[in-house]
Amino acid sequence: MSSQMYDAFQGPAQNRASQQNDSVLRGIVAGFIPLALLLIVAIITILLTALARQLLASSGFFAQQQASVIVLIAGLLVALVVYVIAIVRALRKITSWQRNSMIYQARAALIALGVGALIVLLPVILALVLPQSPAP
Amino acid sequence: MSAQPSSSISPVAQPQGGVKKSDRVLRWVVVVLLVLSVVVTTVYTALSIYIATKLVYVPPKPIYATPASLGLQFKYVTFPSRTDHIQLKGWYIPGVLPNGHLTTQRTIIMVHGTRTNRADKAAGLLNLSVDLARHGFAILAFDMRGTGESPPEPLSLGYFEQRDVLGAVDYLRSGSVPYPALGRTHIIGGWGVSMGAATLLMATAQEPAIRAVVSDCAYADIIPILEREVPKGGNLPPLFTPGGLTAARILYGMDFYAVRPEDIVASIAPRPIFFIHGTSDTYVPTENINILAAAARTAPDAHIQTWLVPGAGHAQSFNKEGAVYVDRVVAFYDAALGPDTSNS
Repeated sequence: MSSQMYDAFQGPAQNRASQQNDSVLRGIVAGFIPLALLLIVAIITILLTALARQLLASSGFFAQQQASVIVLIAGLLVALVVYVIAIVRALRKITSWQRNSMIYQARAALIALGVGALIVLLPVILALVLPQSPAP
Repeated sequence: MSAQPSSSISPVAQPQGGVKKSDRVLRWVVVVLLVLSVVVTTVYTALSIYIATKLVYVPPKPIYATPASLGLQFKYVTFPSRTDHIQLKGWYIPGVLPNGHLTTQRTIIMVHGTRTNRADKAAGLLNLSVDLARHGFAILAFDMRGTGESPPEPLSLGYFEQRDVLGAVDYLRSGSVPYPALGRTHIIGGWGVSMGAATLLMATAQEPAIRAVVSDCAYADIIPILEREVPKGGNLPPLFTPGGLTAARILYGMDFYAVRPEDIVASIAPRPIFFIHGTSDTYVPTENINILAAAARTAPDAHIQTWLVPGAGHAQSFNKEGAVYVDRVVAFYDAALGPDTSNS
């Protein structure tokens, strides 16, 4: 009996909190999808570049360089396209969540997207910020 | 039923109504960040790849003369680098003893600098090789990968070129003997200039067969030089240097950050090292000799000599000092490698 009373009074609040957490989590996952896809394609590209270099090791420097550069640039272009498409899809999803008043989910996704963008920018930021010590 | 919470049907009690102003601002901030991440990263990556491709390729210079043009016998040799078996071209010059007899008992591996070859006119490498041969040392002078008559390969400023020096050692120990009548060389020493000196130091740390090293204007760490030269060469701000070096690692597998002779030079002991550097060297600053000598002296059984050549520019110590340079280097090798006993 007491348990039923407890459920009746505590249940809705707990449910609400748990659903809020779920929706925030869903938003974060949706926001990080573009970054995850970008990283996956970039890693595959780097591995393929190394493979091309190994396979063409006996073909001479110029053939090896040409193949490595083509694989790297093509892979990075694919990564770029995948990243942009994933961003557009994520933004559309966020818009739809905002229209449906799923504000926490949308907000979490937006923040995750922003953090993802900062992570993509991180190498450039580090190159800009980290000190260099050029020879005089 | 009416007592059931409504939150189980619609997504959590989220604010109702239109999109808040703060959310609209957040959206704009995120969109700007995303556009920046795409544009900035694309431009940075593209320029980094460009820098990497420019950094590693140097058109080979032709060899302007041979030891024969200076009156010495020699043979053309070809041998593979260690590990990756790149066929390297070179000369083997037998040493000439005071009585005129030829000898191959002690061989010095001559390692040239960047963007040049085994004859290196600017540093006087062919003249030095001939002078050392006339003092009784056989000479193995060869073109490192991507230079002279050796096949085109990326320039890695010592990272891959170590394998060429190690290949030269393998050739002397177990390759075909260029002068069968004189027999195989017993004692190996090394002389290197600039990148060649840094490469020789890194190879010697791995190869105990090299019994003494003369290092002329080696760098202790290539990164500070690249941090100065890459922006200058590409007319780009310094922030592109790490990107270019990373792109070189991805494209060619070379790690410039590992080209740090100062980290390994102590492990050459007890084999002696003679460090030479010009005081007017602006390419590899003179400070590098102090860093290398200090690092080498951390070994308890180190045998280190240093010589600061007054007024000599980069790789110009031999040209500036001439016979004095040869005498000091010969004295070092005689002490380190012992005398030639082929006549006794």
